[in-house]
Amino acid sequence: MKRSLGKVLFLCFHIFWLQAGDFDYNIQVNKPQPYMKEGTLVTINLKQTNHDIVLLFDFDLLKSANYTFQRVDIQEVDAYHAAEISYTYLVYPLKVGKLDVGFSLTQKATTDESVAYSFSGDRDNVKGLVTTNTHIDLSPLALDVKPIPLETKLVGDFSLDYQVKKHEGEAFEPLPMQIRIKGKGYPPILETLYPKEGNFTQFTETPFVQSISTTQGTVNTVTYAMALSAEKIFTLPPLVIKAFNPLTEKSYELLVPKQTFNVHPADSSKLLDKVDNPAPFLLDWSWLETFLAYLVVFVAGYLSALSWKWQKKTKRAAEPLKEKIQSASTHKQLLQILLSQDKKYFTRSIQKLESTLYANENIPLKQIKKEALENIQ
Amino acid sequence: MNQKIDLLKKELAKAVIGQDAMIEGLLIGLLCDGHILVEGVPGLAKTTTINALSQALGLDSKRIQFTPDLLPSDIIGAQIYNPQDHSFSIKKGPLFTHLLLADEINRAPAKVQSALLEVMQERQVTIAEETFKLENPFLVMATQNPIEQEGVYALPEAQLDRFMMKLVVKHNTEEEELEIMRHVANKSFTEVKPVIDIQELHTLQEEVTKVHIDVELEKYIVQLISATRDLEKFGMEDVKHCLMFGASPRASIDLYKAAKAKAFLEGKTFVSPSDIGYVIHNVLRHRIVLSYEARAKGMRSDEIITKIVETLAIP
Repeated sequence: MKRSLGKVLFLCFHIFWLQAGDFDYNIQVNKPQPYMKEGTLVTINLKQTNHDIVLLFDFDLLKSANYTFQRVDIQEVDAYHAAEISYTYLVYPLKVGKLDVGFSLTQKATTDESVAYSFSGDRDNVKGLVTTNTHIDLSPLALDVKPIPLETKLVGDFSLDYQVKKHEGEAFEPLPMQIRIKGKGYPPILETLYPKEGNFTQFTETPFVQSISTTQGTVNTVTYAMALSAEKIFTLPPLVIKAFNPLTEKSYELLVPKQTFNVHPADSSKLLDKVDNPAPFLLDWSWLETFLAYLVVFVAGYLSALSWKWQKKTKRAAEPLKEKIQSASTHKQLLQILLSQDKKYFTRSIQKLESTLYANENIPLKQIKKEALENIQ
Repeated sequence: MNQKIDLLKKELAKAVIGQDAMIEGLLIGLLCDGHILVEGVPGLAKTTTINALSQALGLDSKRIQFTPDLLPSDIIGAQIYNPQDHSFSIKKGPLFTHLLLADEINRAPAKVQSALLEVMQERQVTIAEETFKLENPFLVMATQNPIEQEGVYALPEAQLDRFMMKLVVKHNTEEEELEIMRHVANKSFTEVKPVIDIQELHTLQEEVTKVHIDVELEKYIVQLISATRDLEKFGMEDVKHCLMFGASPRASIDLYKAAKAKAFLEGKTFVSPSDIGYVIHNVLRHRIVLSYEARAKGMRSDEIITKIVETLAIP
């Protein structure tokens, strides 16, 4: 695999020039009998023969399901009325057996005036280059494609490396893994690496492909990123990718050995919520409780304030006076109490008391008390 | 003589319905040469009573509305310059009367109050070095709005002491008010006629002084006044912190005179404890000063007086 494609002896399929319209051409191929998916360099050389005109070319390979190709080089000699162009393609045949690689070529003839005029306008007055186009039918290039060994998935000189960040995790925890295939050859893009079946779940993403094609071949780096997840311990089977190197004509294998992942099974008691979440829908009456509590406190406060007021009022007004009147044991005591009140309605009682005390009348104390108490009411 | 008092009361009743306490207070003041301070809301027939009293007694009466811009000369009088003969003449103020209604006395500034109270005490007025004795009787009935109102100049305690009694005038009863309403609506108030002249009034004043008062009651009066100065001494420890200071000797004199006048008005020739009891609140309520603590508790001086009367044994 050390020999590059460019170092291989360049074989000429058509080494002689062919005449076509105002130019000559030839086609060169480095490997007329390539293996399937082996890169083959195809070069088309065009050389102007009519030096009276300005000659331009529009060339490409025809697209086909039987091969893929990529233009890897253009060599151009821009001499006055003597154009020479070489197109180099890297073609990968995808079919075994006889295979034709088709060409599309258009000759574009024009004049010096037309070229000059097309560039003379300012940016608001660009004129298209007027050319006389002539489609040239070129015979297809016939390749005899050789088969590759059965079950070969990659063709080229490749190496493989892989990375597993951890081999231990919790149940259903994603365990990342990365496989990278590097080397020269047909791009090593595989649809699946590991089979879908197994006691684990495989999460994959589109592989990250870096491919650069040159006349030396195609240098590739394809990275497959994935994550594995399982409920319990599982083993990733070994991955064996069969490859074939057409330069050495030998098959070889790219290997990812068996991987065992230690997954701690989940404790179902921890996984299950002990409390319903979200909480079951229940009517929240706590506001009513709070409201009633506030109401009770307010009413209690209000009533206590009122009771204090009533108490104060009654203490200050009637009741203590009544008590005093009732507790008076003598006429003089009662007179003293009634006089202190400065109330007009006690005048009659006071007169009676004075009559008893100072005018020798005998009016029972009880009677005067009763009268005084009635006056209060 | 008591018939004259009854006649006077009847005559006053033609113009004033109810307000017996105020009329009685005025009569006591008149009989004792005292002055009366009346506290109450407007519209309680204070001016009507003074006018009726002056008419019934055939006396002069004047009314001064005290305002914040009033000057002493506005009430006393002033010396007027006559440019024609380059001489000064005295123009006497409204104080020169028998019965003076000093309305809203606490609306006037202190210097006006002071001028009035000085005249009340000395019963003479000096204008430009000329002194004029006021005629007897000279009774001032001053009214004041409740102290809580704004825009008033509270009378100092020393000046309040010049008033013999402070009457708290209350609204009439519903029956009385109904009668007043009908009388005013029908213009059926009859004219008050003089029933007593000045000479007779002087005689009545003389009679009052002759009313007998027992020595024990005299001591009782002194004890009552003393109790206002030292409550603890008379066994009233529970309210001792309620008083800032008590009544002056002038209170004893006024209580003594008022009790006699009350007895006289009741038709008695002697003073009984009830006469003292009837007037003691009026005589003392403006003379004792409550402590800040007592005022904060919403106490009134009447409560202290009640306590004193309750506590001190009647002779």
